Amino acid sequence: MNKTQKIESVMEVVRILVGLLIAYGVALLTLLLISDEPGFIIQQFIIGPFSSARRIGSIVNLAIPFTICGLSMCFMYAVNKFNLIGEGIFMFSACMVTLVSVNMANMNLPSVVMVPLMYIVAILTGVVFAFIPAIMDRKFNANVVVVSLMLNSVIAYLATWVMRYLMLDSTIAYLGSKEIPESVQLPSILGSFRIQSGLIVAIICVVLVSLLFYKTTFGWKMRIVGANPRFATAVGMSALGVSFAAQLAGGAFAGIAGATEMMCNYTRFQWTVTTQHGFDGLLVAVLAKKNPVLVPIGALFLAYIRIGADVVNTSGDIPTEFVTVIQGIIILLVAAESFLSGTKNKLIFKAAEKEEKEKQAKAAA
Amino acid sequence: MSIDWVAFIAEGIKMATPLVFAALAALITRQAGMFNMGIEGMILCSALGAVVFAHYGNSVWIGLLGAIVIGLVTGMIIAFSSLTGKTDLYLTCIAFNLMATGGTVFVMYLLTGEKSTTSGAFRAYAVPTIDIPLIKDIPVLGRIISGQSLLTYLAVLSVFLVWFLLKKTRIGLRIRAVGENPKAAESVGISVPKIGYISFAFCGVFAGLSGAFLSMSWVQFFMKNMANGRGYIGLSAQNMANGEPVGSALAALLFGFTDSLSITLKNQTKFPTEFLNMIPYLATIFAIIITSMIAINKKRKIEKGMAKGKEKA
Repeated sequence: MNKTQKIESVMEVVRILVGLLIAYGVALLTLLLISDEPGFIIQQFIIGPFSSARRIGSIVNLAIPFTICGLSMCFMYAVNKFNLIGEGIFMFSACMVTLVSVNMANMNLPSVVMVPLMYIVAILTGVVFAFIPAIMDRKFNANVVVVSLMLNSVIAYLATWVMRYLMLDSTIAYLGSKEIPESVQLPSILGSFRIQSGLIVAIICVVLVSLLFYKTTFGWKMRIVGANPRFATAVGMSALGVSFAAQLAGGAFAGIAGATEMMCNYTRFQWTVTTQHGFDGLLVAVLAKKNPVLVPIGALFLAYIRIGADVVNTSGDIPTEFVTVIQGIIILLVAAESFLSGTKNKLIFKAAEKEEKEKQAKAAA
Repeated sequence: MSIDWVAFIAEGIKMATPLVFAALAALITRQAGMFNMGIEGMILCSALGAVVFAHYGNSVWIGLLGAIVIGLVTGMIIAFSSLTGKTDLYLTCIAFNLMATGGTVFVMYLLTGEKSTTSGAFRAYAVPTIDIPLIKDIPVLGRIISGQSLLTYLAVLSVFLVWFLLKKTRIGLRIRAVGENPKAAESVGISVPKIGYISFAFCGVFAGLSGAFLSMSWVQFFMKNMANGRGYIGLSAQNMANGEPVGSALAALLFGFTDSLSITLKNQTKFPTEFLNMIPYLATIFAIIITSMIAINKKRKIEKGMAKGKEKA
């Protein structure tokens, strides 16, 4: 690694950290301005998430779907396709898992059979739905962002219809599906932290995706296509084919995320709108700079500010929505090319100047 | 089952109004070479802005002005981030729309203590509807053309204003030049970022009007996520017509009718509402497929023609 590359990678980390700090500062400032007792609220926002074993556990639990969704968006982002279908897949995968498991309840199959089966259902759901915008992108060059967003609205209504007409539990007072059988309700682990067993799924996914990205030809192809599609085509890769396959893989992981959330966190399917997990995944992928190894860190950070906002919401009546504004600011700052680029260029210039002087000094000696 | 078709058409024109404004907003940035998905968030912010300004200014006109101002401000935010900050425009717009969804709820909560709608806390202001003399007495046509919101007539007028702006003025020529070939435009001394900002300003005005229609004409309050994909539908409408003002407006009108179809069927039939709600979104997806297919066929024909030309030579 030469000096310029070194400076570039260090500055990349600095940029992300400064971006996060600014966004965090904005969050604190907002709390300061709107709260009646700012000192207490800010303290709650910063250290509240760590105040009990249960809350630390919920940070990890919240980070589980964020991680898997972040991995899903890494695939899309790696080939530079902002296919946001993950948002809809997350919801519909949970819906399909519920539908299938409820219908298989009287077969009394053990967890060993049911849980893998549910993941197969989830992956199929993900691939099928990711296929629609991906094939439209490939065959008709249709705008993948608009198509996926429109499709998300359709999916939300479709899932609601499935819940209301195919698996509604009319014995409960609220709108919800029948209860899923116990064989697919995943238990908590690690005692008082109450961490969900989805953690294991998330860890496996991170390892798998990291291997896929950095140890296989497909991962290498994806990164080339994302960095420079023209070069990829010029050296004989099918840029369209690679990005198509990457989008399907991304869809599969969004499906896994939805199924994990459903089986760990709920006993009934009761969503009528999409859950924002797809967009959270995008934030995590942007923070991790498309690198699956760094995805859990981004996910934990997001979970930390989310839990902080929840704590503040319960103890000080501040709406949690302000976090989405903070999330937007983070994406904008981290993704902005010119943010701190002046400093970076100055550092590179200085390093080059220094090198030149040293050379001259050597030549003189 | 009998459906009131006149009401259906009148409703279609009404529902097309915000889509026409959205399509105009989208096409101005598109003519400058930018695919601006942030319109969705801009409309949402303007819709809230309209209600807030109208309530505190005690006038519907202040509300309308407020919506336009908010449209301009949000347009500048996206332009700054994308043109000056050099962030990927797609990413900027996705982030901005995310901020708009949460931010509008946040502001609404701070001002009213409510999280879903302002209808309880804020007074209702409506942009007046206009009865056109003579035409309003014609049996069927009167019910359709007359009695629409002032903003609907303004939308029709705006289509021609935008056409004039793009085709007959200096600034319009420059916007199109930048969209066609930014490097060529730069070489003759046009500042590309400056033109970008200007097109975003026009875009902001129309996004503002679209938002104002939603919260001061369609209904008289703001509710959470009330844009509901209209920005994207407007964007697709202008895409169908390749950024031509009149064609885009007609496409938006078509989408307005799909919206109206969904509303009419919901009121007059017992079909599951979930499927009726999907109609506008499915229509958009199909429209995108069809226009893309046409564009690809055209390209193939041109390529074939070129190949033939070469053979002859």
